Amino acid sequence: MYAGLVTRALAFAVDAAIVDLTGIFVGVVVGLGLSVLKTPDSVDHLLLAIGGVLFVVWTVAYFVGFWSTTGQTPGNRLMHIRVRRASEDAALRPRWAFVRLIGTGLAALPLLLGFLPMLLTDRRRGLQDMLGRSVVVHVRAGGAR
Amino acid sequence: MRVPLLSQGLSVGRRASSAAADAAGRAALAGLDALLDWRYTDEAVQRVLSSPVADRAVGHALRGPLVDAIARDLTRYAVLERVADELVADEAELERVVGSVVDSPVVQRAATQVLGSRLLDTIVERLLESEELWLMVDEIAHSPAVTDAIGQQSVGFADQVAGQVRVRSQRADAGLERVARRLLRRPR
Repeated sequence: MYAGLVTRALAFAVDAAIVDLTGIFVGVVVGLGLSVLKTPDSVDHLLLAIGGVLFVVWTVAYFVGFWSTTGQTPGNRLMHIRVRRASEDAALRPRWAFVRLIGTGLAALPLLLGFLPMLLTDRRRGLQDMLGRSVVVHVRAGGAR
Repeated sequence: MRVPLLSQGLSVGRRASSAAADAAGRAALAGLDALLDWRYTDEAVQRVLSSPVADRAVGHALRGPLVDAIARDLTRYAVLERVADELVADEAELERVVGSVVDSPVVQRAATQVLGSRLLDTIVERLLESEELWLMVDEIAHSPAVTDAIGQQSVGFADQVAGQVRVRSQRADAGLERVARRLLRRPR
């Protein structure tokens, strides 16, 4: 059975919270550390840019890492769903996981219209699933269903 | 010649006295049976037992060495252990005895009196004041069994909440799809 929009949105919200809270925590710690040092503005800007890049890398690593290994991010695990290849019951390859992440961004760009196919297709696939050759299925506590 | 005659005479005398003793014993037993069957015997026993004589007799017995002797014999012959073994072996009987004791009005009255008495308040106050009690409570609260139980309960509750969220989200999935298909006129 394929997971629908609401379930996947809740799982994604949990993941977004984890990614953002981790980023905020690290940012606050680094910011507090730097606050005692007198650094020029140019250095601050550079550190800000580096922090931004690291946050993007962290986000990509989080989603690509989980999708291409267990197929379950912590949010997916909480909602008992799993990302797998559309053609077979296996985890995505890292490059297709990366494509899927880019697809998620693309699906959100046109006022979230890229997610609309999830409501209309039989396998509940959004733009990101079509680009990443994936589907999202419900799993029991022990395995797929 | 005279010695055997004397011996015979003594033997005859012993047998005669033994026979007489037997006859007297049998007569006494018959008399006792008759006494026990007598219709006034119960009444007579009751009167004796309810008389001051019986009170004094019991008092004498309890003041005397009889109680000590009974206690010694109870211990020596393991009477209490044997009774306990019998009771434990017969579980139904044990339950009946315990039940009848617990349900008896006397025990209930005693329990009510203890609960309502100042003694219980004093005991509780003393317990609450004792440092050992709080050390013990602290020990129990930090014991692995208790912390495991609390942890399991918390995890169980979180699982329950997450399970409800999953069920409702799946219903919402289906509902949202129906609405979207109806709006876009895309039947399944």
